[in-house]
Amino acid sequence: MSSNETMQEGKERYKAGVLPYKKMGYWQPDYQVKDTDLLAMFRITPQPGSDPEEVAAAVAGESSTATWTVVWTDRLTACELYRAKAYRVDPVPNTGEGTKTEAQYFAYIAYELDLFEGGSIANLTASIIGNVFGMKAVKALRLEDMRIPVAYLKTFQGPATGVIVERERLDKFGRPLLGATTKPKLGLSGRNYGRVVYEGLKGGLDFMKDDENINSQAFMHWRDRFLYCMDAVNKASAATGEVKGHYLNVTAGTMEEMYRRAEFAKELGSVIIMIDLVIGYTAIQSMALWARQNDMILHLHRAGNSTYSRQKNHGMNFRVICKWMRMAGVDHIHAGTVVGKLEGDPAMIKGFYDTLLDDHTPQNLAHGLFFEQDWASLNKCMPVASGGIHAGQMHQLLTYLGDDVVLQFGGGTIGHPQGIQAGAVANRVALEAMVLARNEGRDIWNEGPQILQDAAKWCGPLRAAIDTWKDISFNYESTDTADFVPTATTSF
Amino acid sequence: MATKSDKIDMQALLEASHINEVLDKLDQDLVGLVPVKQRMREIAAYLLITKARLQLGIEAAKPSLHMCFTGNPGTGKTTVALKMADILHRLGYIRQNHVVSVTRDDLVGQYIGHTAPKTKEVIKKAMGGVLFIDEAYYLYKPENERDYGQESIEILLQTMENHRDDLVVILAGYQDRMGTFFKSNPGMSSRIAHHIDFPDYDENELLEIANMMSADMHYNLDSGAEKAMQDYILKRKQQPHFANARSIRNALDRARLRQANRLFNDAIKHKKDTTAADLSLITAADIRASRVFSGGLDGESDVKKT
Amino acid sequence: MTNPNGIVTQGQFSFLPALTDAQITAQIKYALGKGWALSVEYTDDPHPRNTYWEMFGAPMFDLKDPAGILMEINNCRKTFPHHYIRVMAFSSVRGVESPTMSYIVNRPKHEPGFGLVRQETDGRNIRYTIHAYATDKPEGERY
Repeated sequence: MSSNETMQEGKERYKAGVLPYKKMGYWQPDYQVKDTDLLAMFRITPQPGSDPEEVAAAVAGESSTATWTVVWTDRLTACELYRAKAYRVDPVPNTGEGTKTEAQYFAYIAYELDLFEGGSIANLTASIIGNVFGMKAVKALRLEDMRIPVAYLKTFQGPATGVIVERERLDKFGRPLLGATTKPKLGLSGRNYGRVVYEGLKGGLDFMKDDENINSQAFMHWRDRFLYCMDAVNKASAATGEVKGHYLNVTAGTMEEMYRRAEFAKELGSVIIMIDLVIGYTAIQSMALWARQNDMILHLHRAGNSTYSRQKNHGMNFRVICKWMRMAGVDHIHAGTVVGKLEGDPAMIKGFYDTLLDDHTPQNLAHGLFFEQDWASLNKCMPVASGGIHAGQMHQLLTYLGDDVVLQFGGGTIGHPQGIQAGAVANRVALEAMVLARNEGRDIWNEGPQILQDAAKWCGPLRAAIDTWKDISFNYESTDTADFVPTATTSF
Repeated sequence: MATKSDKIDMQALLEASHINEVLDKLDQDLVGLVPVKQRMREIAAYLLITKARLQLGIEAAKPSLHMCFTGNPGTGKTTVALKMADILHRLGYIRQNHVVSVTRDDLVGQYIGHTAPKTKEVIKKAMGGVLFIDEAYYLYKPENERDYGQESIEILLQTMENHRDDLVVILAGYQDRMGTFFKSNPGMSSRIAHHIDFPDYDENELLEIANMMSADMHYNLDSGAEKAMQDYILKRKQQPHFANARSIRNALDRARLRQANRLFNDAIKHKKDTTAADLSLITAADIRASRVFSGGLDGESDVKKT
Repeated sequence: MTNPNGIVTQGQFSFLPALTDAQITAQIKYALGKGWALSVEYTDDPHPRNTYWEMFGAPMFDLKDPAGILMEINNCRKTFPHHYIRVMAFSSVRGVESPTMSYIVNRPKHEPGFGLVRQETDGRNIRYTIHAYATDKPEGERY
């Protein structure tokens, strides 16, 4: 290209006025993705009659350098580098004409690494989801997946402790961990609350847990809870000879207060503290740094996520939250149960678990994993399965979720007809019997109920648990499901 | 299988184990060794019948299966041990089709307290399969009463007795020395259930072996080379340290070196193309250049394993 | 001990009836199938944070059959009939490089358990010490 042509083109391109995003360089179907690019995949529902490529370019533009009109100040920058590039738009299977769903498209966008500040989820998210979700050009928009380049991952601490070190500290190997959320979640005094913790841990659980909204209320201030819970934890540890823990929720109104609570938890010898997703990305990263510094496991409750992760056409997929939270540095995150009371399609949840636990995640459209992801040796984050699960589902839980997971049986422990200790025994016996059988090579998916029945012959509490909850299941249809069945991946 | 508890379908038992295939393959793969093959068939039949007796409850415990293979070096003892492991595995007498092959150095230590862990380590590795101890008599050195070999022998004896279900031990070595060894170690002798003696190969068998080995290595001997090999065998057998098939392999290895040298020099001197046939052909010259023909020894002792 | 089992509940299978040799063999087979090394460890100090039990020989690598490991377990039981004995599996895979299994295969007949020592400190704070009653006696004379 001659310099004269370049000049002419430049003049034309940066003429004052409004230009389609496609023409501004945000649509580059020939773009060759670089290893250092950050990739994002959005599900877009364009306004009726809009060109999906233009909408994809608009998303690329508004999440990087563009504004609604042409600005000459672009020319003072290496703007071609900084422009995000929409490089691919595919129609979403089973949407559009002839289906019940209006047309949706998967738009792939590449971002230059220099656009992002190292080690800052806040900066990353301000770029990618900061502006675009309210754009008029899209009727609905959902961030489905991201590929984080290794270079960028290396600027994050990652999980403070990680699955491997957590197991070493707890001295618990080769089986899922067991936990329970203290119930009722509101109203117990510190003294009464600690009773539930003691009974559950002594009965055989590894962890008890605060719920997301237990902070410091009129019926129980936080210091009381911490003191009574730690007495329960240590007493249970002495009674069993095992390391035990209680997730002390340090969520509070300010960072100063959270640090204060975390310090007290450490002073009392707790192995684990807890925060809620609603405290925000920066607060989470700060707590992760604190946790690494203070030998503390950091549990994250995903409070609030369903406000934006559940609907299929708008918001963001939970797998993206999983990626960000692994980068941000939490050790535990609630990631679904498949069989419990909360939303979760088995294939999607497998995708979340892989995202949290893999060293390297291959692309797997059936599991909703749109990009291959190298995790650059970032620690692994332990998924937590919580909500409406009980001992009678143990074979399903172990099959779906594997060994690296915390199984939280709240109601399934505390609601046991023979008491909390018996509830804990039932869960632990069911778990150990199932792990033993699986390792022996038995087909637990099919023989599971029989394995539990056999164990119930010598374990009364398990017998009672199975009889009480035998018919409980939550068979609602999931809203967040795969767009691709395993056989339909040929177009990719 | 059996319809009643006092009957058993031998044909089905035999077919399920596929041991005939192993025995047929043994016949094909190994030159000569007629008495060895005969003994293998006898032992296989015995194992099959014993299996049937176990199934019908006539026999209560698995029989002792430890064996002794005697014969001169290069007569196929290691190869046959692998086949034996295969048969034992197919009939369910061992769980793993593996052979851990050791000598004294792997079992006996240099100082006090060293031998037991070494021997146990080897036993643990061999567990579930076959432990093959070559030149087992070196474990016993009567001239040195403080020799640690005795400690190893005792651990082996204990294992051979207490872990019959887990391990089959095969002792191997020269027949005469093995005889002496057993005389001094009656405990060992009494635990050996099967003896197989491996005869030396005759000249024709050795030539057949030479041809088979060449073919395996994708070489062939022309008629001159074959004649040279015949002569070589006659001469080499008269020399010390003759090691049957192993001596043949060594002779072929050296012939290949000479062939390579010959082809290389030809290519440089005469600048002629070398064909695939040239690359595969061993000629009389490649063999007759051996020192054996000038009254010397050909390379190192063949007895020592390479 | 006053927990529902009356025993130290460390390890993968402490809530099940004591494993038979056949059951132990099946677990070893599972570990060998995964390519893990196995080791036998023993102690007479079952404190929950006593990480380093004594090794009954180094971890066993490259074994093909469970019998060799079961033999070591039984040797260890013979040598230390009143100790806690556990089997551990180790993975050398990148990203793990840590124990992958741990289960108890021998324990003392009587397990006195642990006392909880509470040291009252500032305000209502308490510092906790878990004390194994067995360790009041010297090593080797505890059970």
